Amino acid sequence: MLTWVLYDIQKNKIRNKVAKFCEKSGIYRVQYSVFLGDLNKTKRKELRCQIEEIIEPNYDRVYIFPMCRDDFDQCELLGQAFDKNLITDEIKALIM
Amino acid sequence: MEIHLNTYGSFIKKKDNMFEVSLEDKRVKLSPEKVSSIIISNAVNISSDAIQLAMDYNIDIVFLDKYGDPYARVWYPKLGSTTMIRRRQLEMLSEQLGLSFVKERITIKIMNQYRFAKRLISKRTSMADDYTEKLEKIRELAITIYNCEGTLEQLSGSLMGWEGGASKTYYGILANLIPDDFRFQGRSTRPAKDAFNAFLNYGYGILYSKVERALIIAGLDPYLGLLHKDNYNKKSFVFDFIETYRFFCDEPVFYIFSRRKMQPEFIESIHNGVILTTDGKKFFAPLLIEHFDEIIRYHNKNRKRIDQIQTDAHAFANFLIGKRDSYMDAALHTKLSNFLSSDDSDIEDEGD
Repeated sequence: MLTWVLYDIQKNKIRNKVAKFCEKSGIYRVQYSVFLGDLNKTKRKELRCQIEEIIEPNYDRVYIFPMCRDDFDQCELLGQAFDKNLITDEIKALIM
Repeated sequence: MEIHLNTYGSFIKKKDNMFEVSLEDKRVKLSPEKVSSIIISNAVNISSDAIQLAMDYNIDIVFLDKYGDPYARVWYPKLGSTTMIRRRQLEMLSEQLGLSFVKERITIKIMNQYRFAKRLISKRTSMADDYTEKLEKIRELAITIYNCEGTLEQLSGSLMGWEGGASKTYYGILANLIPDDFRFQGRSTRPAKDAFNAFLNYGYGILYSKVERALIIAGLDPYLGLLHKDNYNKKSFVFDFIETYRFFCDEPVFYIFSRRKMQPEFIESIHNGVILTTDGKKFFAPLLIEHFDEIIRYHNKNRKRIDQIQTDAHAFANFLIGKRDSYMDAALHTKLSNFLSSDDSDIEDEGD
């Protein structure tokens, strides 16, 4: 399911780690502190556990937010927006 | 997502447990979760860490030569499944089962060729009459193959001959249906003599790597072949198995030509023939993958066209060790018997 991960994290070190966890799980950076991409339930839980372990619950905020495809298709993207096809795994090949 | 590297000097390495693909200034980071295979067809640098990462995530790395044939692959040194399957596969060579399997594979292949050609012709009504005879010839060869009797050893020459005859007629039909300037004379490999064959060879190369992978995963031995020989003149089970899937490539290649999407920069001449250029591969790979990934109905489930190969490989392996009574999909079986008994009324339904 398409999943948004949004965060506000105070410490640089923790923030960088969270960003790497997100990238590695296969979702893409769409804003400085927003990731988006297709994650299955297991991967989502795995990511949640990884993040939960390192953040400081007293200062930091992280939202992991699944969204159904119908709603995603109604999203309005303005300006320097991301590539919808990449996010939804519709790009089948990277050719270089 | 597949990673296709065709450009001289591209680099693939591991960074932060992810793949980083770079070409000059361009850099792309990809999560191994999203990568299914890495196909390398030119001078490319790959680090050993990247190879290890790929193995950890069951991503296979395939190397293609300039003709589009796979010449190496990286895969972990383990069997996909129990050795029982390989032992049964070996026994099959000397049994009647070997022959009936080979006959069935070839007949299905010819059926697929026939159906594709027939579908193309039915849309060109003015030409239909000219081709009826040729199509009938293809079908007759299929019937001959399906009904022949003897041992695999006695028949292998004849089987290859009949199969070749059907293929020749089939490619002859395709050659006549594309615009005049791209007409070609039959199949040619290493190198292709014309653009059409250059695309086919590249497509078949990618398909070969997928079939080989499916066989390994199912626990079958890709080299315990029955009938077909590979480039090194060794019997190869991959070549026995791949036959029924070749038309996965024929369709996208045909449309490149029939819809006049072919550009001169897609091919280059080499000694004795032509090969695809980097531009040609960049153009062709997405078309091919899109066609492979199209969802179709198979074994009563909706799945990607390309996943048929894995399903069939598992079914065959399970059949060998007695877990299944038959390795063929029931719907395919009906299709085949309709084809052999000249009832092909369902061809029109498929569209394209």
